[in-house]
Amino acid sequence: MVIKTKKPEQDSDRKFNAFFQSRGWKPFSFQKKTWRAYLDGKSGLVHAPTGTGKTFAVWIPPLMEWIEEQNTKKKSTQPGLRVLWVTPLRALVEDTTRSLLEAVEDLSLPWTVESRTGDTSGTIKAKQRRKFPSALVTTPESLSLLLSYPETKLCFSDLRAVIVDEWHELLSTKRGAQTELCLARLRKWNPSLRTWGLSATLGNLDEAMATLTGHGKQGILVDGSIRKKFVVKTLIPRNMESFPWAGHLGGKLVKQVAEVIDKKSTTLVFTNVRSQTEYWFDALLSVRPEWKSQIGIHHGSIDRKERAQVENRLRAGNIKAVVCTSSLDLGVDFSPVEQVIQIGGPKGVARLLQRAGRCGHKPGAVSTVICVPTQAMELIEYAAAREAMKQGKIEQRSPLKSPLDLLAQHLITLALAGGFREKATLEEVRTAWSYRKLSKQEWDWTIEFIVKGGKTLGAYDQFRRVICENGVYSVPSQKISRFHRMSIGTITSDTSISVKFQTGKILGTIEESFISRIKKGNHFFFSGKLLTLIRVRDLTAIVKLAKSGKGAIPVWGGGKSPLSSELSKSVREKIEQFRMGKSKEPEMKAMQRTLNLQSKWSALPQFSEFLIEKTITRDGNNWFLFPFAGRLAHEGIASLIAFRMTQLEPMSLSVSFNDYGLSLCSNSEKTINEETWRTLLDPKGIVDQLLECMNQSEMAKRQFREVARVAGLIFQGYPGAQKSIKQVQASGGLFFDVFSKYDPDNLLLTQAKKEVLDRQLDVVRMTEKLEEIQSQKIILHSPNQLTPFSFPLWAETLRTQVSSESWSDRVRKMANELEISN
Amino acid sequence: MNSQLEISWNARKLSLLADRAIHLASENVLFIADPHFGKAATFRKSGIPVPEKSTQEDCDRLAQLIKLTKVETLVILGDFFHARLGKTNEVHQILFEWRELFKELKILLIRGNHDIKSGDPWTDLNIQCHPDPFNLYGFECRHIPVTNSNKPFLAGHVHPGFTLRGKGKSSIRSACFHLNESKIILPAFGSFTGLKNIQPENKDKIFLTNGEDIFKVP
Repeated sequence: MVIKTKKPEQDSDRKFNAFFQSRGWKPFSFQKKTWRAYLDGKSGLVHAPTGTGKTFAVWIPPLMEWIEEQNTKKKSTQPGLRVLWVTPLRALVEDTTRSLLEAVEDLSLPWTVESRTGDTSGTIKAKQRRKFPSALVTTPESLSLLLSYPETKLCFSDLRAVIVDEWHELLSTKRGAQTELCLARLRKWNPSLRTWGLSATLGNLDEAMATLTGHGKQGILVDGSIRKKFVVKTLIPRNMESFPWAGHLGGKLVKQVAEVIDKKSTTLVFTNVRSQTEYWFDALLSVRPEWKSQIGIHHGSIDRKERAQVENRLRAGNIKAVVCTSSLDLGVDFSPVEQVIQIGGPKGVARLLQRAGRCGHKPGAVSTVICVPTQAMELIEYAAAREAMKQGKIEQRSPLKSPLDLLAQHLITLALAGGFREKATLEEVRTAWSYRKLSKQEWDWTIEFIVKGGKTLGAYDQFRRVICENGVYSVPSQKISRFHRMSIGTITSDTSISVKFQTGKILGTIEESFISRIKKGNHFFFSGKLLTLIRVRDLTAIVKLAKSGKGAIPVWGGGKSPLSSELSKSVREKIEQFRMGKSKEPEMKAMQRTLNLQSKWSALPQFSEFLIEKTITRDGNNWFLFPFAGRLAHEGIASLIAFRMTQLEPMSLSVSFNDYGLSLCSNSEKTINEETWRTLLDPKGIVDQLLECMNQSEMAKRQFREVARVAGLIFQGYPGAQKSIKQVQASGGLFFDVFSKYDPDNLLLTQAKKEVLDRQLDVVRMTEKLEEIQSQKIILHSPNQLTPFSFPLWAETLRTQVSSESWSDRVRKMANELEISN
Repeated sequence: MNSQLEISWNARKLSLLADRAIHLASENVLFIADPHFGKAATFRKSGIPVPEKSTQEDCDRLAQLIKLTKVETLVILGDFFHARLGKTNEVHQILFEWRELFKELKILLIRGNHDIKSGDPWTDLNIQCHPDPFNLYGFECRHIPVTNSNKPFLAGHVHPGFTLRGKGKSSIRSACFHLNESKIILPAFGSFTGLKNIQPENKDKIFLTNGEDIFKVP
């Protein structure tokens, strides 16, 4: 194909053609489309799976543009800062810098490319502020920090483009909103600034683009996805008869998995949670002890150095397999990876695509993912995911709605950077998509919060974070400036215990609640090693290698992602096809016996039916409901029904939930008929009732930790932080209590509750589901034993109790239970 | 008054008050630890907005306890102030007014780590300050607990908290008294203070309190 050019761009064209030819590549049409759009001064979003050449699509045109400018000038000059490259992971920054630099060197351009993150040394940062590189690779936090310096505006005066990598990862998070606010500022400085995003395919690409280009600006969506072929295979258990209905008992398939790994030179084995990574790493070694130095483990709690080692071996291709979590979902090419294994349900179509895309990295290659079920229902998920993928039903990721904690942080940042005026800044903030609907009342509250500390502080004159003089808001205190700069960002880290050998070598971090249950001298698994605990002191667990034996596997908090609505819809379709006898997939054939039992003992619900089972076990009366709406919405529905039941008569209920349904367990003998169920499942008034539930549980309090940290109430210290910082540390829970008591109208409390509703209980999906149920026929079954559907729920160990009893009663009851179990 | 529990400790009768204090009626004395007065003010001066009411409320609560128990002596087991930065005029005013209510009351403070940094209370509060530890009534009053002490002691510093776990995921976390025959660690009196979860050993006893009720953990 010939590149059609209107202008005489011969020189740059020649250079770039040579560049591509030297690598044996031909530019794809989507890359050329991006180049032309960029040179026309447009912004946009390129969406494609990883390994399709997205990076070059957006990196080449700023270089082209510069070369053209040089042709018109008499003397060529070294460029100042022209491109900002924002990437979500610090770990990706170095790799990105390297690959951008490679292109520049191949083209022998005088451009400099440098990185800037929280890890960059102070000297280098100061040097960069004096003279910026031509392209700077950074993270949203570091960009925000840069904006807090008054001199940045001048340094950014020749900035032409901001590229945001892996935008799908940031989009629906506070870090995404932070990026949006930074972009709003940069666009205000330079209205012709171009913003280009790189994203995996999403269900709401237009919105994803709008969040980047800003409210009211047009962009161009470039589809680069056509080239990649995906294949989803499933490892069907050889003996379905004894395959578990519940639990993470996929260990049965370890031998088969090892055989799959044997066939290729390099494999990525993805699990859904960190503890599963530890479990599978150990399980693989137990069937293949000779792999000890040939396989690696990688997850977010393992020390960065250890992780980097594994990544380097992956890049070099001298590692047989790496067992990992989403920590390796993102990022640069690990070209040697030949296949991907997914352990457990994929939970989302986009996620499975993303993971599959980690292999077959050469443009044009096929990406194969082999799915390994850990329980029966996941087999249906695989068949469903393949179908949804084929139909292009990809999940959406929604931007946040005006998070005020982040706005408070950003406004202080702007106050530091030479101050801001109210009217112009409100306009600027509203150009960020997530804040386009920010109300004047929310704005006023946030201003009051940073100036006076909120309503209740009122006339307290010693509180001076931000002051307003002659209409300009600024930060008067050096100390507050320093505090603020140190705490810019939105990532909230848990109190974690670092795990160290006696020699001082750090292995990573685990949670305090886990280590507190391990006694001195006992074993546990971590970082793929069996360790003996020597002692715990000052947030450090000192360990040594254990010779042999068994050990506990740590559990880390952090949510499991729910089954997406796209995937759950597809799962229901698969069940429907099965009911009609139209299933063809190997997964569904394997499920035949299980689904027939479900149908025999209870029912396989049709689309128009809503199934409720009631089974009596030794725990009491168990009700099982199957909305198929994902674990978050199920938690919400379970809390709601439990709340409504306890309003009817005082009782204590245990609830549990998974991606397919929820259960309520009580020792009450009550029978509930269809009509009562319909009332219990009524979508009316759920928000108010959920808020009331929230007051009884500690959900909002836990969520407040993040809000308080972002809004600058909690200073996230680090080891060796100054004393003056330690004096002003308090936990999020404590702030929550103090505000609830003395300042109940504080909008940050409201925000925390909203975040629980949206993110933890998925109130939107809950409402949709409850409305759907109202139009369905409720079918009640009372099987004599647990069914394939209900058993996993029954076995779900995480149970939450809902009760309306007082503190003292609850304490007394728990104490009694303790006595009994002792 | 909120609830209380009487225990016997080293042949003495003590009352553990849900209000996070200990009443030793035989000596007519009340013990509290870690009020951290002026903590909210310290935060505000550092640019962190915290509603001011906790110092006032804590003083009111303390006044109430002194009235009801009619003690002659108040022993504060350290950390009277949170930080030098929080020794503001407002805090001074609140404390002074509280002091005026009980002119005859004898107040002893065992200096805690925070007191050493922030300096002794204003002289018009008329508080006797002693270094840690200080012998009184045949036992030691300490701020920082020690592992090997010849005498039984009362101490603060830790801000002990305990998580009571029920079936499944249900749990309750509250402040607590942590004691055995050789020591009693008091919960922090200040309401704007955090908790540190403790790991009780074999013979330790834990008394949970939420400020209104007090309850022995078996």
